[in-house]
Amino acid sequence: MNKPLDPDVVREAEDLREAIIRGELDAFVVGRDDGRHVLLLANAYQRYRQLVERMQQGAITLSGDGRVLYANQRFADMLSVALSEIYSVPLDNYVGVADRARLGDFLRTTARNSRLELELRRRDGVAIPVALAHVSFADGYSTLLVTDLRPWQWPSLTMNVLDLMRASLDQLNRSAGLEQEEREALGSLGEQINGLARLIDQMIDVQGRQP
Amino acid sequence: MTPAEQKPPTAGEIWELRLYTAGQTPKSLTALANLRRICEEHLEGKYKIEVVDLMANPRLAKDHQIVAIPTLVRKLPEPLRRVIGDLSDTERALVGLELRRAA
Repeated sequence: MNKPLDPDVVREAEDLREAIIRGELDAFVVGRDDGRHVLLLANAYQRYRQLVERMQQGAITLSGDGRVLYANQRFADMLSVALSEIYSVPLDNYVGVADRARLGDFLRTTARNSRLELELRRRDGVAIPVALAHVSFADGYSTLLVTDLRPWQWPSLTMNVLDLMRASLDQLNRSAGLEQEEREALGSLGEQINGLARLIDQMIDVQGRQP
Repeated sequence: MTPAEQKPPTAGEIWELRLYTAGQTPKSLTALANLRRICEEHLEGKYKIEVVDLMANPRLAKDHQIVAIPTLVRKLPEPLRRVIGDLSDTERALVGLELRRAA
């Protein structure tokens, strides 16, 4: 004879059924004992996916053999290719030969937040300096953030140009035979260059404080 | 006490509630917000909420045999009760917590 069902078990089963039908769940717990893990439903990570798709950094997930399983639009934009062309392609293909060994070593490390700077190679030959950062390594998949370093390098490059301009002005100032008016104009130019240099200095300072 | 109500908290009794979540996913956050609202309305000053993130430690699901997230567990007063879902159906949540009789 069948044992009568515990009314609490029946109520909980009905509760679960109702919660599924009403779309009130984010995840299920699967597995037994120490093998338990959380299986997220698609709606649970939709918000994060939108963030990843719209963020200003590239994001990629690589298989154990270094092939791109997932990439966001920003990463495709860095390489100037369509997203569909990136999937399943080894990341190696977008890296210069000189950097491939370093990339291989980096991908073999599983330390969270480890970082590597290298150059991505676009098909037209343009090199894009980037920083790769390990975000996670789970189940044989690595997830990396890819930061385009070019915007970060602009302040330093601009500073170099300003230094050159300042040196040229100094040289002009030292030359004989300049009228007072011309010296004043050179002095004013020098002040403007110094003002620009201070601004760039502040930008570099702010960048340095970024995490 | 209205006829529909049941088991109001007695003086000095503290309800211990544990909400199992999956990080900051939408339904988990909704469940927490709904739980706080329900507690303020029906258990003011007489409850403790503990949030357990199963994304961070899935093994803790074993404690209360959790299979779906979010799930609310009433640890005290006994007997233990589980309410599955984001608690957006207040009536169902109150019945599940035995704060109200089933209609």
